[in-house]
Amino acid sequence: MSDSPPSEDLEDLYETAPCGYLSVSPGGVIVKANGTIADWLGRPTADLAGTSLHDILGFGGRIAYETHLAPLLRMQGHVHEIALDLVTANGEKVPTIANAAEKREKDGSHRFTRLTFFRAVDRRMYERTLLNARAKAEGESDSYRKAALLREQFIAVLGHDLRNPLAAIAGGVHLLGRKEELSERGFALLEEMKGSLERASALVDDLLDLARGSLGGGFAVECTNVALTPTLEQVVAEIRSIAPERAIEASLRVEEPVYCDRGRIAQLASNLLANAITHGAADHPISFEAATAGDLFTLSVANAGARIPETVMEHLFQPFFRGAVRPSRNGLGLGLFIAAEIAKAHHGTIDLTSTELETRFTFTMPRSDLIAQPSNERPQ
Amino acid sequence: MMFAHGFGCDQTMWETVARNFEGEFRVVLFDYLGHGRSDASAYSAERYASLDAYAEDVVAIGRALDLEAAVFVGHSVSAMIGALASLKAPDMFSELVMVGPSPRYIDDEGYRGGFSREQIDELLEFLAENHLGWSAAMAPAIMGNADRPELGSRLENSFCRTDPDIARDFARATFLSDNRSDLGGISTRTLVLQCSDDIIAPLAVGEYIHAALPHSEFRLLQATGHCPNLSAPEEVTAAIREFV
Repeated sequence: MSDSPPSEDLEDLYETAPCGYLSVSPGGVIVKANGTIADWLGRPTADLAGTSLHDILGFGGRIAYETHLAPLLRMQGHVHEIALDLVTANGEKVPTIANAAEKREKDGSHRFTRLTFFRAVDRRMYERTLLNARAKAEGESDSYRKAALLREQFIAVLGHDLRNPLAAIAGGVHLLGRKEELSERGFALLEEMKGSLERASALVDDLLDLARGSLGGGFAVECTNVALTPTLEQVVAEIRSIAPERAIEASLRVEEPVYCDRGRIAQLASNLLANAITHGAADHPISFEAATAGDLFTLSVANAGARIPETVMEHLFQPFFRGAVRPSRNGLGLGLFIAAEIAKAHHGTIDLTSTELETRFTFTMPRSDLIAQPSNERPQ
Repeated sequence: MMFAHGFGCDQTMWETVARNFEGEFRVVLFDYLGHGRSDASAYSAERYASLDAYAEDVVAIGRALDLEAAVFVGHSVSAMIGALASLKAPDMFSELVMVGPSPRYIDDEGYRGGFSREQIDELLEFLAENHLGWSAAMAPAIMGNADRPELGSRLENSFCRTDPDIARDFARATFLSDNRSDLGGISTRTLVLQCSDDIIAPLAVGEYIHAALPHSEFRLLQATGHCPNLSAPEEVTAAIREFV
């Protein structure tokens, strides 16, 4: 047989409960306090009754009580989980977590407010540590963001300022070729210089695009309804003239107008073709297909060559990424990044498949602005 | 009649009093940016660093509603925001009602506002530790879904929600403000409603404002504390009704 359970002494429960109890009049005067809170504050319970709640709160707590807690209590009848510092007779702080509720008369009028305090030294210290850590992390990420912004601005300014001297050199080269008597060797040198100039200009254009993309939160595109066939034919012709030794099999069935930025779509097509020239097998033709079908415009570029490993695929569209397969001397590694940004700005996507037989990039976008949905992949 | 909430709460605190005037007046209630159900995405810390921006918003609301010779009722810091708004748009309000106003909270030479700089820092500390029903993860859902109140009920304290960062900025803008020099230029009829025993806006501050305003009436309420619109809505209603 077990003993009967001990009976609870309710008065003792109130007085020595493991939490502090206060009852406060609507005017903020303490009506009743238990022994536990009196102990914490170093004041006799009799002494607490009749004093203002303000006298045992820190100043911040007093203002907060008047501006936040009292209104909340009136409106919803209770306030829970408030971090509040009590102040002892010696002026020391007792960190607590408090709940409060209004005791109301039957007619809804306010009789008094009951507050329960839990001493929470460790818990409050833990929360403060978290707050400090967060403030520190926010400060660090802020300075990191500023540094990144500065770097991007530097790239933008550098790219922009390089354009003028490049234009001057291009003008000089042009005049030399037309107006000056040059030896055969001089002409040969001039042709090489033209090639180098074009490469340098293309690099600067890519840098500016990168800066625009990351600074402006995405590429700005100016869309109109465009008949794309002549544009794409011109892109193919340009690439053929740059790489005459390579075969490009073009198939264009773009019968409907496409709502897009003509120059940007040309740039996207050109970048994908240039990528295929650089990385594709030299002895196999490159396939270039573009078509409108239903609501969609698709453009795909395929080349033969080694399969792209999964690990590389993940990074292919990142700026400055250059396949580890072999060092490329043709660019900064911005071509695919810029193509992907252009796709995004047109609410489209670029999908990549790579097998032992072929590597294929497929760009798909809504053909008309009526079906274009805002892209949720756009960087913030 | 336009009601403006003070620091620490939202338009809910005016609901009871405002309802009393619905019969005679077109009643306008609003939340300042970052408070209540406002669109916090329009907030900018730079712009809202001073009370002027809040006053500009009051004027913008008044213009959008074509308010002319309206009554502006401002609680706490909104009393001064209303005063600034009346300087920017003199015809918009014919009466100002200031409930628990203070033109400057921090003590100064020859002036007792009742606060010291250190005490303001203590308040900011309290705000950092108490987000009072605010959860950054839930906030966008709550703020943007007035029609889905169940989202709000999951948090413990469901009224007067304020983005903690904005609450901190608003506390700074409020408690570090000094609008004493603006009072003399306010030609609008004004009622100063002073609470008994208000530690935020003590009696001497209310009397200071009354003396500095060219056309003001002063009324000491029996209500204690800083929010008579909640603790004694009938007394506040009667005082406003007598004035307008």
